[in-house]
Amino acid sequence: MGKASTDRFTGYFYVTPALLVLVIGFFVPVGIMAFASLSPIKPGEWGMFDNYARFLGQPALLGALWNSLFIAGIVALASVAVGFPLAAAIVFGVPERHQRLVLTLLILPFWTSYVVRSYAWLLVLAPNGVVNQALMSVGLITEPLRLNFSVAATAIGFVHFFSMLATIIIYSGLRQIDKRLLLAAGDLGAGSVRAFVRIVLPLSAPSIAVAAFLALVMCIGDYITPQILGGNTAPVLPQAIMNQLNRSNDVPMAATLAFVLTTVVLFVVTVCVPVYRARVKS
Amino acid sequence: MSVLKKALSAVVLLVGFAFIYLPVIVLAVFSFHDGRAAVPPFEGPTLRWYAEVLSDPKVGQAALNSIILGLGSSALATVLAFLAAYGLGRYRVAGGEVLKGAILLPMNISYLVIGIGLLILFRNAQLPLGLGAAGLAHVIMTLPLCFAICLTAITPKQVRLEMASRDLGASQFMVLRRVTIGLAWPAIIAAFFLAFTLSWDEFIMTYLLTRFDVTIPITIWSMLRTGLNPATNALGVLVFGFSLILFVMFEIIYFRKSARRTGP
Amino acid sequence: MKARKFLTGALALGGIAVACATVHGQEINVLAWCDHTDPALLDPFTEQTGIRVNVRDYEGTGAGLALLDQSRPGDWDVWVLDSPAIPEVVALGKLAPLDPADFPLSDIPASVRNEGVHMVDGTWYGIPEKYGYHGFAFDKERVDEADLQSIEDILDPRFEKRVAVYDYYRPIMGMIAASLGIYPGDFDEEDLEKVREYLMNLKPNVSVVADIVTSQTALATGDADVLFGGGEYAIATIIPERPSLDWTIPTAGSVRYEQSIGIIADSEKKDEANQFLQYVLSPEGQARLATSSCFWGLPANTKADLTDEQKAILRWDRQEEYLAKTTSYIAPTGDLAAKAEAVWAEFMQ
Repeated sequence: MGKASTDRFTGYFYVTPALLVLVIGFFVPVGIMAFASLSPIKPGEWGMFDNYARFLGQPALLGALWNSLFIAGIVALASVAVGFPLAAAIVFGVPERHQRLVLTLLILPFWTSYVVRSYAWLLVLAPNGVVNQALMSVGLITEPLRLNFSVAATAIGFVHFFSMLATIIIYSGLRQIDKRLLLAAGDLGAGSVRAFVRIVLPLSAPSIAVAAFLALVMCIGDYITPQILGGNTAPVLPQAIMNQLNRSNDVPMAATLAFVLTTVVLFVVTVCVPVYRARVKS
Repeated sequence: MSVLKKALSAVVLLVGFAFIYLPVIVLAVFSFHDGRAAVPPFEGPTLRWYAEVLSDPKVGQAALNSIILGLGSSALATVLAFLAAYGLGRYRVAGGEVLKGAILLPMNISYLVIGIGLLILFRNAQLPLGLGAAGLAHVIMTLPLCFAICLTAITPKQVRLEMASRDLGASQFMVLRRVTIGLAWPAIIAAFFLAFTLSWDEFIMTYLLTRFDVTIPITIWSMLRTGLNPATNALGVLVFGFSLILFVMFEIIYFRKSARRTGP
Repeated sequence: MKARKFLTGALALGGIAVACATVHGQEINVLAWCDHTDPALLDPFTEQTGIRVNVRDYEGTGAGLALLDQSRPGDWDVWVLDSPAIPEVVALGKLAPLDPADFPLSDIPASVRNEGVHMVDGTWYGIPEKYGYHGFAFDKERVDEADLQSIEDILDPRFEKRVAVYDYYRPIMGMIAASLGIYPGDFDEEDLEKVREYLMNLKPNVSVVADIVTSQTALATGDADVLFGGGEYAIATIIPERPSLDWTIPTAGSVRYEQSIGIIADSEKKDEANQFLQYVLSPEGQARLATSSCFWGLPANTKADLTDEQKAILRWDRQEEYLAKTTSYIAPTGDLAAKAEAVWAEFMQ
């Protein structure tokens, strides 16, 4: 019994440094931001939710929130739609001893600087860039497509990044599927397609969900890709936050928007995680 | 493996590779572009942008800052994370689950928000911005991830080994050194490298929290904002090369160590 | 053991970092537009005086004030800002008085020297250093100059998604106001409403709202055929490669940007800052600033050391004409500024 109590103290002892840093570097700043967002517009008057009311009243800001959600949703779906076939192609189409190599080669561009990669897409999607030149030479279009500085460009930039992430995650999920299950299905007379749909898809669902979830959460909070590729045609919430901070010098409003952003993400997290756990259990 | 399967996979992978590598190839090609604007059509190859980037003292200083920031924050984050993982994984602590959740919380929060929060804190406390402030932000960013990774290394088997060595007369410190860290070594290395990778490439928090101690991502961003220039491409390619080297180094160290550990 | 190695390593590196941070000689911190980051401008100054110049570029007066607000006193020494914003900024106590005898004011054209904006209560607070024009920058191969005579022309449906807009509300709204015959000093809420109407009508034709470099890129790649608010600053650096780029001013008149340089009120290095100001206003400094790698513009000092070729690109001989056709852009303060920012945000959505 004495050992157990000293155990507990020792445990706290080891955790304390990390907690200290977290309190100073995370919880305190977040607290200050909360306080700032709740400060009334006219000091001295009661107006705790002034900033939130302002947020709801400005279509530009609400629009930014909607853009963030919309783009993140598309990106999550598209990234998984790209990552799954790629992961499946490696797991089922490449000899086992080469799989890690192929996977590594595929996700190597993950290591280009995030800023640079977004900028590179500007070059690729330009009217005289590779994509347009290719489409025109094949005769699919006569006039170059205006791809840059749009929601499409932002989405493509995001999907490029998150599909690599999705590929890794779904790959490890697929690897864990017991090959014997597929053999057994084959023995029982199921064709490849049927086995795929009935066995592989459901069993890979958890990893697909994780990939989509990560893409969604990370995408909502990103500033760089929309700023470089979006051309301010459909500003997202992080851009609105930076504008409030830099252009309008409105720190309380920036804090308010930051809180809205955080709340949305936390909401997604708290909804998705229990659903995920329940599904996995079953 | 049927021919159809192989063919289908090959096609999928080919298309996939093309999509993934497209921007990287365009970036690399135009880093040799002989002209001011890094836009098509391509003009004959030249190395002058690489020369410009490599001889620019600001780039060198930025690289140094990136490395200092990365090594410092990653080391600190890994140490804190490991200690916390040890404390919460090895010992039964009241409210342990809550503490675990608290440590993992920053992972769900956008870096922009964390950065702004710290900016406001430093401003209110009249503290100087710079690599230190950015370092703190990076520790917050990487601590949860390192913690999660280290947690996986604190297993019941390891706990039993600890107890065994304690019974054999080893001091607590020796136990920690030899047994705990010795066994958790691959996880610690993985955590450190991951933290470094994240820190090395991190832009938004560093941008908010430094003034003139720029890092490579900020240098690249400034180059994008202050001039149309293939030098940006050249820097991007160099950064890519460096990251690749790091990655390869990591693979070698990590897999050599694990192999040795699980060897005969 | 390994943990200890890590700790010592980290501490050592931390120590080096701190050492690096404290060992710096003389240096001044400058808040300026991107054209001040060019090493070709800064290095000669550092060689001559031994003072290192750190430049942080920013987007607009509002952003500049925000940055100063978020900094501690003594953090910044020099400020390059919109000339029309000087009175507001002086009223907020941000700029230090200057000695006009230090600067070649007589070499600056009267309309650029503009004592009304640079002097408050008989004291000089900023020195004009560079200016240029906001009109339409365009690609001659895709658009005719004849089709760009007024801001109404841009509303034509055939420009759908082909117009880039420079991302700074002051010159753009100023341009629209100038076309409507509104003087910048008279700009009020009613005028803002008219501007807002125009902007909403323009929206379908907008391909991108972008900063200086992105606008230049858009013109160069063909993502835009016209840059609303463009001038020599948008095309001078890429003209050698894209000779088809050109710019023009609407017949009804337009606005010009004017930037001035000043010393921050709570700077602790006013002498070094003054030296930098004098360098920037000197003939060599002015020539380098005028042809800076981010964007080109007209040097305030007419004695700037420019080559004939550079003067030709800058249309040196037409300056009287252009100065007569343009005014400063708007510089709203307080409430009006906030409302204008809101309209701009709405335009971008």
